[in-house]
Amino acid sequence: MQHDPQETEPRRPRPALAAAAAAAAVLLAVTACARTEEDASEDDGGGGGGEGQEQVLDEAAAGDETCTLDEYGGEGFDLTDVRVGFSQSEAESNPFRITETQSIVDEAEERGVDLITSNAQSDFAQQINDVQDLMSQGAEVLIIAPLNSDGWKPVLDEAAAEDIPIITVDRAINGTACEDFVTFIGSDFVEQGRRAADQMIDALDGEGEVAVLLGAAGNNVTTERTEGFQERIEAEAPGIEIVFEQSGDFTREGGQSVTEQLVQSEPDIDGIYAQNDEMGIGAVTALNGAGKESGEVSIVTVDGTEEAVQHIVDGWIHGVVESNPRFGPLAFEAAESFGAGEEVGTELIITDRAYDPSNAEEELPHAY
Amino acid sequence: MSAASVMARVDRDRARSWLQDYGVYVGVAAIVLFNVVFTPGFVSLENFRVQAVQAAPIVVVALGMALVIATGGIDLSVGAVMALSAAFVSLYLGYGPLVSVLVALLVGAVAGAVNGTIVAVAGVQAIIVTLAMMIAGRGLALVLVPQLEGIRNPALREFGSGSVAGVPYVVWVAALMVALVLFLVRRTLFGRRLVAVGGNRRAAELSGLPVRRTLLLVYTLCGALAAVAGVMTTARLQASDPNSVGLLIELSAITAVVVGGTPLSGGRVRVAGTVAGAILMQLLVATLIKHNLPPSWTQMAQTAVIIAAVYVARERGRS
Repeated sequence: MQHDPQETEPRRPRPALAAAAAAAAVLLAVTACARTEEDASEDDGGGGGGEGQEQVLDEAAAGDETCTLDEYGGEGFDLTDVRVGFSQSEAESNPFRITETQSIVDEAEERGVDLITSNAQSDFAQQINDVQDLMSQGAEVLIIAPLNSDGWKPVLDEAAAEDIPIITVDRAINGTACEDFVTFIGSDFVEQGRRAADQMIDALDGEGEVAVLLGAAGNNVTTERTEGFQERIEAEAPGIEIVFEQSGDFTREGGQSVTEQLVQSEPDIDGIYAQNDEMGIGAVTALNGAGKESGEVSIVTVDGTEEAVQHIVDGWIHGVVESNPRFGPLAFEAAESFGAGEEVGTELIITDRAYDPSNAEEELPHAY
Repeated sequence: MSAASVMARVDRDRARSWLQDYGVYVGVAAIVLFNVVFTPGFVSLENFRVQAVQAAPIVVVALGMALVIATGGIDLSVGAVMALSAAFVSLYLGYGPLVSVLVALLVGAVAGAVNGTIVAVAGVQAIIVTLAMMIAGRGLALVLVPQLEGIRNPALREFGSGSVAGVPYVVWVAALMVALVLFLVRRTLFGRRLVAVGGNRRAAELSGLPVRRTLLLVYTLCGALAAVAGVMTTARLQASDPNSVGLLIELSAITAVVVGGTPLSGGRVRVAGTVAGAILMQLLVATLIKHNLPPSWTQMAQTAVIIAAVYVARERGRS
């Protein structure tokens, strides 16, 4: 679809003007290129290997069921002898996705694994094609970061026919564990919501009015982070009232615009729960613009990006619940054990860190 | 047909015509009245500033869109051009804020010129050309700036959040653009030509008007205006975010234009109506947010408004 518009010109070619315009655009892009690369290497915060950044499993939250090679079918393998395919769901345009892909790529490099990758750019049909392509390119192990939980049956059947083990990361696939896929490694989004509520209760001493900046509508991350938050607030802090819930679409712009409206209609709001860091940072900009002081409104967010944790240090954000995207080490570890015939848990829930004023400065290097 | 029924029909046409031209002001008045009565904190200087600042990019984009629609065309690429301009602000910031903003505006104009050239010279339908630009433009913006980049520049920050004489800079800029477009439409030959091209392209060609040059200029202007909106948004956000800047703004802009009384078939342009239409779109969103109604309602409300506007225009077109 992304052809140069020039190519769609079917008749009466009078290319001089168009060509000049296109050339100018390309020229501008080229002169700017050297600068982007420099900038990018400067703030290369991603990566999976850093000390203390790795994901840690939460033994208590994990399911009891396990999966072995015998139950799943297929032959044992050594990771260094097989080709591994990784299918990313969304464009690497936010810190979470960048760090996630980087973590998988780095870990593969470290282990000397032959890795092929694809990115579906938030198009589910594309992701199905991607996974089929990865298989046709000879992937014998698949790591999938699924865009949706449903709609995977045809591909899973195809993979099962060839006994290709599948590991899903960050979102689950609806199917039967150890039949449709080997294991799911991810965060517990409901738990993230509960922990955000704990931070909010702490910040407000259990008393006050709170606004929620929701993520994109119809997304399980949004629903689960809302569910956990509401549940915990209702159970633990009857003095806190959720008076406002609007979507900021997980973007900074959305968080800023909605918060600008919010402070006009609810000037006495005590707390804002932003379901990701970007919206939380947008809220900070909005509050700043409306003349609020840092700390006047307690903001709690989820993700753990460097910029958000820095805002805790500066006093604008009260707390950040981490959602750790560094899936590389655990995913390859699971694949290795599975290939060696060992038992692998079918639901591996990771422990997410939390940042608050007491540890933000010290833990800042762990943020992504 | 009796004289009475002819008279009734004339009256009805007049009513429709009045509604198409002035309905948008009634709409704005109604929504303002509703908010004055039912929305706490609506009548305050601070709130007016917030609404004006948020409406500014929609107003600017809608102005360009009004010119394009007046020629009988459409520009779906305005959001992508905003993203492109945001990307170039970030890329060229190293050369200083003024250079980066000028480059961003130039890039917007170039993108518009590419649209205009293909529409005017090759005669490809505007909806297809600008759809391609919508996809390719955002794609290029994401290649250049793959993830949100913070803009830490005092001058741009001041432009995005500061005021002079109590009015935010971005609102001054939007007002300046309105004045510029009003002048073009009402006082220049170019203004008369673009309406003539939209009214009847064949007739305009036969009477020797420079149809292609006019179209090229109109699309270039639309691109440049979208870039102005991209710079505004970037300055306000203090970040360049090609992934989400200007997403779906084409819908708000087209709605603002149509609601403002410019028919989609072209041949006529209502600048003040377009500005009122953009303000109506902004107040609609703000009202639903302030009353904490589900976000999906916003889309439905916007859809209802555009259908109502197109219905009024259609009735008039038939008679």
